[in-house]
Amino acid sequence: MATQIPSLDDPQVLVQTPATIYDAIPPYAPRTEREAEFYTLRDGEMLVNMGPQHPSTHGVLRLVVKIEGERVVDIDPVLGYLHRGIEKLAENADYHHAICYTDPLEYVSSLFNELAPVMAFEQLLDLRVPRRAEYIRVLACELNRIASHALFMGWMALDLGGLTPILYSFIERDEIVEMLAALTGQRMLFNYMRIGGVNGDLNHEFLSRLGDWMGHALRQVEANTTLLNENEIFLKRTRGLGRLDRRTALSLGLSGPNIRACGVPYDVRRAHPYSVYPELEFAIPTREEGDSYARYLLRVDEIKQSIHIIDQLIHQMPDGPVMANVPRRITPRPGRAWAAIESPRGQYGCYAISDGTDQPYRFRIHDPSFVNLQAVVPLMPGNLLADTMAVMASLDPVMGGVDK
Amino acid sequence: MARSSGRLSPAGRIVVPALGALLLLIVVLLAGIASGIIPAVVGWIGGVLVANIAIVRFVVAATAILLFTVPTAFVIIFMELKVIAFMNLRIGPNRVGPWGTLASLVHGLKVLSKEDFTPTGVDATVFTLAPVVTFVASVMAFMVLPFGPGLFGVDLNVGLLYFFAVGGLTVVGLLMAGWSSFNKYSLLGGLRSAAQMVSYEIPLTLSVVGVIMLAGTMSLNGIVQAQSGSFLDWFVVRQPLAFLIFFIAAVAEANRTPFDLTEADSEIVAGFATEYSGMRFGFFFFAEYVNVFLLSGLAVVLFFGGWTAPFPWPWPIHLLVAPGQLGLGLLAIAIGAPIVGSLLLALPLWMLRSNWPFWQAWIVGLALFTLLALGALGIYLLINLEALLGIVWFFIKAYAFVFTFVWMRATLPRVRIDQLMGLAWKWLLPAALANLFLTALAILVVHQ
Amino acid sequence: MRQRHDQTEIRIAAGATVDVLRTLHDDPAFRFEVLADLAGVDTGDSMQVVYHLWSETTPDWLRVIVVDLDREDPRVPSTTFLWKGAEWMEREAYDMFGIIFEGNRDLRRVYMPPDYTSFPLRKDFFLADDASRSPAQGVRHMEQVHAPAESLAPIRRSRAR
Repeated sequence: MATQIPSLDDPQVLVQTPATIYDAIPPYAPRTEREAEFYTLRDGEMLVNMGPQHPSTHGVLRLVVKIEGERVVDIDPVLGYLHRGIEKLAENADYHHAICYTDPLEYVSSLFNELAPVMAFEQLLDLRVPRRAEYIRVLACELNRIASHALFMGWMALDLGGLTPILYSFIERDEIVEMLAALTGQRMLFNYMRIGGVNGDLNHEFLSRLGDWMGHALRQVEANTTLLNENEIFLKRTRGLGRLDRRTALSLGLSGPNIRACGVPYDVRRAHPYSVYPELEFAIPTREEGDSYARYLLRVDEIKQSIHIIDQLIHQMPDGPVMANVPRRITPRPGRAWAAIESPRGQYGCYAISDGTDQPYRFRIHDPSFVNLQAVVPLMPGNLLADTMAVMASLDPVMGGVDK
Repeated sequence: MARSSGRLSPAGRIVVPALGALLLLIVVLLAGIASGIIPAVVGWIGGVLVANIAIVRFVVAATAILLFTVPTAFVIIFMELKVIAFMNLRIGPNRVGPWGTLASLVHGLKVLSKEDFTPTGVDATVFTLAPVVTFVASVMAFMVLPFGPGLFGVDLNVGLLYFFAVGGLTVVGLLMAGWSSFNKYSLLGGLRSAAQMVSYEIPLTLSVVGVIMLAGTMSLNGIVQAQSGSFLDWFVVRQPLAFLIFFIAAVAEANRTPFDLTEADSEIVAGFATEYSGMRFGFFFFAEYVNVFLLSGLAVVLFFGGWTAPFPWPWPIHLLVAPGQLGLGLLAIAIGAPIVGSLLLALPLWMLRSNWPFWQAWIVGLALFTLLALGALGIYLLINLEALLGIVWFFIKAYAFVFTFVWMRATLPRVRIDQLMGLAWKWLLPAALANLFLTALAILVVHQ
Repeated sequence: MRQRHDQTEIRIAAGATVDVLRTLHDDPAFRFEVLADLAGVDTGDSMQVVYHLWSETTPDWLRVIVVDLDREDPRVPSTTFLWKGAEWMEREAYDMFGIIFEGNRDLRRVYMPPDYTSFPLRKDFFLADDASRSPAQGVRHMEQVHAPAESLAPIRRSRAR
């Protein structure tokens, strides 16, 4: 007879052994060596459940933290509270339909979620995208990158106890989101990228908003960062904290600002150029320190670079159609395609397999947040409980992306 | 009876018995006065009260202070909502009352009407007592704070010592809350508050020893009186380092940003208050805001001259007219001044706006006169009653400090527990000791 | 070895995984230091594990496919000794496909609850509203979904080899 697994929903469990819930020890036998090691407590250690409902776990992440006093001994992230099975859903939808499933993956930068699958499907179809469409894609994505980084700056401060920066950075984010709403018709889940182009051409409202914003964008970034950049408390909380060296970062498979803050200039826009990035002039900011503060500053630098890119895109925008001639029902030849792009959180990839029908046979999303979040496990031991949030915030995971 | 009451309207069913009861009461009172019982009892009570005037004064003061904490907390909560909103470029509360001024009152009502929840597994007695202990400790410390000349609960000659002793009890309440909640966040919060407040008690107390040495007394009244004169006599000028230490330690004592580790919401949810709801939770917040005002008030009393004005009044403050000397003339003025004044004010209005009838102009003139008269009366009272002026100065200074507390909350991130303790033991404590030594040296040199 | 667009594809057997990946990672001629992706694939007949690698030495993505894993008991050596970051991706592949990565010290489910018994991304796992896959049957009820696949529509087998 199979062993009965006690469910936490069972009222008997709650009443008779509250300790199982408060101690965060799972009510089943350990499944792996690591789990057994983690859930065996030595004298003086205790487990604290951070999340899935916690003010600063960026959504529904559950961190089981093993602490001794205030010092973190070990940490075990538990995922899956937001798992929606988007890969499975997309495998049961046709190609056009699959794109809109990806929107809510990483909900603060949705355009990137659409771009990677679209690029993969275009590879399957051997499709060439009009140049104007490529420019519009990059323009919209870079705007979205700024919106995402602006949100990061606010959250970082909020997790360290600063109330105000998030509202300042939301001003900037809101301007961009409104702009994108004028372009795409949606504020957050855009559904703008299409196989073979984009949904609509640039319109007057978008361009006038963009023009207004470009006039003060750089100044606004500078103004928003003055509250934090040289704040003594902020420096004390972040500098030297969560330090990663080059080799560990590569081994952990980090990407995006997190790995560039460790001195590795790995940016897919330059490492493996896609779209119109080879024609654009921009720098890949890197930093050597590899700590939380470097990760924060790097994102500030990236905002400035993105503004620079947008400036070039506006001036070089070619004329022409924004959509290739793509049929309503598409059946690519059997084959495999991999497209990777640089999202605000790192290398965002899509691996698609076609079997000749109108549905993708395998639809795999590689989300940078998922990989970056792993770094919290080697980074946390030895730090204090309060640093969990400083490290977590600087890694900038979005649970929608982590949990798919 | 039942039939007659059945014929009454719903309002009548309440009014008629009430009128009957009132009639009965009047009859009983008249009989009591006529027979001499009531005057005797009143006289006796009055005699007892007069004989124990100190106790009466104390009870009255304690009640007044207890009542005073309620509007204080409401005002500070409203200030926090609104000031932080403006600093965040938000609008803030604007629904209840003009400019949202009643928002904190509504918050209070909301907290009152919420379920008072005691989770399973908590130590119920301690859990219930903890908010009371915290709140009472804060209010008790209020007793020695002088708001104006002659306006204080008690003037203890060890007032400052009492203040720190009682104020330090707050931590007991927080620790009780953290321990009894049966929650790890609460436990961490409670222990953090214990470590933090016990550590900051030391620099806080040491920083004011210099002030005590300069003033020569520990009575808060005495300290204020030692600073009377211009703002150059305030102790902040002679003890700037002590003020800095005091202020930092006070922020930590009040558990305010950047030292609000006990309820660090991004780390340990709500710290010691995690498991609390309803009015018990409300009491913790009451205590916090009362503490903010208390420490602001103490900073004003110790370093900013309490109720004294920042500069001596430049002209003689006594008006030559004393109302009591006028006799019947006062009556004449009281009747004549409104008529004459309002006519005088109405005349130009009537002449300039020819379409107004005279009575309309007169009404406007009367309204103007009332405003002017009230303003003049207010200024007269302010100048002639030193106590009133003192209160105004005290509150201006205290609320400037409260504003600073709120301002810091809007601006600064939170420090970490080890940095917090490091600051207390490695920087503030040596600095306070150095300040003490220098003050003693200076006093020695000056006196010889 | 295949080449299409900007991707080079090599196919290896499960036994060769460790040697091939170690050489690709360590050899100064290759230096594929970035593990861009690790994915499981269910072709309907067998399981595959797909690695995407990036190196400074080549402009192409390298796709390494470990082919022909037994569908009933897919086993492949873990690559956590090369990339620590592969740990969670392997956990995901295990969670979704049931592929056992030998040597991964923390191979437990990452998304699904611990008492979950099936592997959702396998092709014999049908969704509740999988109407498009079997037009004759229409929308099925949830209770029928986890029934053995034989009673339902045939497994969709990949023609993409």
